[in-house]
Amino acid sequence: MTQRIKIVLGAVLAVVLGVGLYFLNARWIAPATVHRVKAAGKHPAAPDFSLTDINGAKLALADYRGKVVLLDFWATWCGPCRIEIPEFVQMQQKYRDQGFAVLGVAMQDTPDSVSKFYQQFRLNYPVAMGNSQLAALYGGIFGLPTSFLIGRDGHIYSQHSGTTGPDVFEEEVRQLLAGKPGEEVTGFSPAGQVEEIEVGTPGEANADVPGVDVSKLTTAQLAAFEKQLDANPCTCGGCKFTLLQCRRQDATCPVSKKLAREMLQKFQDSKTIAATAPKT
Amino acid sequence: MVRGGSVMLLLASLGRSQSAPVVSGSMVIDTDAVHPGSMAKIAVVAEVAPGYHINDHVPTLDYLIPTELKLDASPPLEPGTAAYPKGTARKFQFMEQPISVYEGKLVVGESLKIAAYAKPGVYQLKGNLDYQACNDHACLAPAKLPVSLAIKVVSRSEKLKPSHSDVFSTLKLN
Repeated sequence: MTQRIKIVLGAVLAVVLGVGLYFLNARWIAPATVHRVKAAGKHPAAPDFSLTDINGAKLALADYRGKVVLLDFWATWCGPCRIEIPEFVQMQQKYRDQGFAVLGVAMQDTPDSVSKFYQQFRLNYPVAMGNSQLAALYGGIFGLPTSFLIGRDGHIYSQHSGTTGPDVFEEEVRQLLAGKPGEEVTGFSPAGQVEEIEVGTPGEANADVPGVDVSKLTTAQLAAFEKQLDANPCTCGGCKFTLLQCRRQDATCPVSKKLAREMLQKFQDSKTIAATAPKT
Repeated sequence: MVRGGSVMLLLASLGRSQSAPVVSGSMVIDTDAVHPGSMAKIAVVAEVAPGYHINDHVPTLDYLIPTELKLDASPPLEPGTAAYPKGTARKFQFMEQPISVYEGKLVVGESLKIAAYAKPGVYQLKGNLDYQACNDHACLAPAKLPVSLAIKVVSRSEKLKPSHSDVFSTLKLN
């Protein structure tokens, strides 16, 4: 009888421990690296881009339509980025024939440093120099590395920010490779947490007020709107920037983005726009 | 363009938007005013946000971006050479070897020469502390902490009072 009680107690303890560890992992360990995945049927289309890679060849996302693409934003000065690269080289080698491609976009780096790294680590996939417009198109890049997994249908299925294990990428890549070109992978099951991804629009990817679509403003209206932004502080906490400075110096700031968009809406509704609008 | 919970998760992961700077701080001087033709000590007293590090001025690895104080030459103020603290050796998940970094409080000192021709008045000294921050699994873009200081030049007959002795009592300049 005593032995039975011990066994039952041991089993209960094991279950409690298991559940505890599960929640510990879910709440404290797993979020250490963020994995964002859209709900099925709502995967956003990967914004198109065309760059020149460091070898001088054209690198256009459209040319990879029908393939599974791992789009990696990284930098040579970023230790967490560098540790992922050999894994991407291996994945490129392993899955290339099945329709998989890694595309690298180096952010805030120099072509010389990237070329040197490219040779040294024998990268077997194209790498191009990125820019703030491309980062804005991909929702703003908060930190590096940030990687997007794009399916054969040209839609983004997951985003990984921060160092991510190769097992996570491989599991997701295998699922996407099973999809057919042009068709959504409805049964996609993320290896990370299920979160929502939102990408930018070409209008928002501008150098004047990054993240805010000012394409409908005339030159005079844009100048007036920028003046307004420059007269208001960013309330993100501690940056001491005006809203305009914040948008230009930190396009990833969600606070200034929200405020600037609200201000644009008011601006467009205001008399200012009427006063500065071209007469027809 | 990331919404709600996603933003919170991402910021929790990567720490923050750069608009909430990873490094905050200010520039101070060792006296309340300076005399023409004298030398003063200035220092940038900075704080690296918890969970983050910035690279040593002399990085362990050549590809890491060093922390650097860059002050603008602004006559009659002539900044000297910056003196950086020794970093702490830390081992991170993404490195095979420990690297030297700055965490928490950081004091970068520099001498300041006041030209003999300087006339009494207030002069602005401006510059930036350049840094690049990472946590254990991600890095933020290279950034600048803007610093500025209004420096009062007074005639040699006026007596000066020491200031920020807590900073300068232990600061060694080159």
